[in-house]
Amino acid sequence: MNMTTALARLLIFPGILFAVPAAWFFLWVERKAVALMQGRIGPPFMQPFYDFVKLLGKDTPPRSGIAGGLMRAWPLIAVSTAAGAVGLLPVLPASGGFQGDLILLLALLEVPSICIIAAGFSSRSLFGEIGSAREAVLSVSYNVVFLLAIVSVAASQHTFRLEALAQMPPSPLLWLGILAILICLPAKLHLNPFSLPNAEQEIYSGPMVEFAGPELAMWELSHGLEWVAATGLVATLIAPHITLWWAAAIVFVALSFGIVLLLSAIAAATARLAIDTTVRFYWQCTLIFAVLAVSSALFMRLRS
Amino acid sequence: MNILTMLWKNLWGGSRTLRFPLRPKVTQRYRGLVQFDPELCTGCAICKFRCTSRAITYQAGKGEFTWSYDPGQCTFCGRCVEGCKAHALSQESACPPIYLHSGELKKTYTVARRAPAPKTAPAVPKAAATPASPKLAETPATGGTQ
Repeated sequence: MNMTTALARLLIFPGILFAVPAAWFFLWVERKAVALMQGRIGPPFMQPFYDFVKLLGKDTPPRSGIAGGLMRAWPLIAVSTAAGAVGLLPVLPASGGFQGDLILLLALLEVPSICIIAAGFSSRSLFGEIGSAREAVLSVSYNVVFLLAIVSVAASQHTFRLEALAQMPPSPLLWLGILAILICLPAKLHLNPFSLPNAEQEIYSGPMVEFAGPELAMWELSHGLEWVAATGLVATLIAPHITLWWAAAIVFVALSFGIVLLLSAIAAATARLAIDTTVRFYWQCTLIFAVLAVSSALFMRLRS
Repeated sequence: MNILTMLWKNLWGGSRTLRFPLRPKVTQRYRGLVQFDPELCTGCAICKFRCTSRAITYQAGKGEFTWSYDPGQCTFCGRCVEGCKAHALSQESACPPIYLHSGELKKTYTVARRAPAPKTAPAVPKAAATPASPKLAETPATGGTQ
């Protein structure tokens, strides 16, 4: 992948130029879908964009010292890494990529979560610290399944290149991996029933409680970009291999949209679980998926 | 699975939220705006003392009294209606109307004080002792001096 292709992917498609409006669109789809399923009207189409602009125009409380600097830095790091993760997705055919870009994508997907944990502790708020502790515990729980599922799919193909995985023919192992990733996505995106770190009524949105104005706008944007990156990862794994670039882009958007609707339905149908129940769920139940995926990957590798 | 059926019905059944200016239906015992009947009021001012939100004000004058009610401050608790022995107060069974300016719904009544009943023998009928109808004057809202 040369420099021009890399910049085009990062800045245009599926990077920032596409990802930022897509982030607002997915945030709107999630809110609207949940509202319709709960018998409410829901927000208008432009609401996430209006929220972003409104927050940008507000003042931020003056903060000094290292904690203040960190609180300004965490949301920016989260936005840039989430945008970078979207830029790595192999949406278009023959889009390049490099050996090991899957590992970079997984690392970039994890950074916003680490930023949230750090932000909650930097804010020195009791609610922020509780939210950060919950996010840390949740992250450790679901990442075992998430990473094992992706790595086992990659190991079966003898590659850590995203483009090779995107062109992988459908197999039971691939579907098992996708199912395991889908189970982890509600926790990664802080959706019900795993919306513990940002519980609004219990801990006032946890790590976000002390953030306001442009900093909060950046957190909202990074959350939207996480939506695009996480659903996009699943969409690239599901999508069939298409040579036409515009058809590939349409299929990618349609599949991502479908995954957003699926996750919204799960969020609307469930209530928030307690932290111990959540951890037990991931460690006891979904670990089965990961073990199955790893064993299948080993079997496929030995057979080939 | 019940929850999925419910979500499916909600998705296609439309929202339950009413858009302005539609209003929700009210129940039979709905506590709406307080209605004042100056014909029945004795000017005891119990309603004013029972009103914790200070929506009702009462000013005693010479030979008359002024009774005011500001729905903007009312919590519709109904304690004034409960305490009115003369049944001069009641509550509407309808949602309060939408208003755009502060004190728009405020109402003020100036009521002539009734002459006290003469302390005569019990044989005298009570209706004969009271005047036929008190002098009434309803003043429109002025924007609310509390």
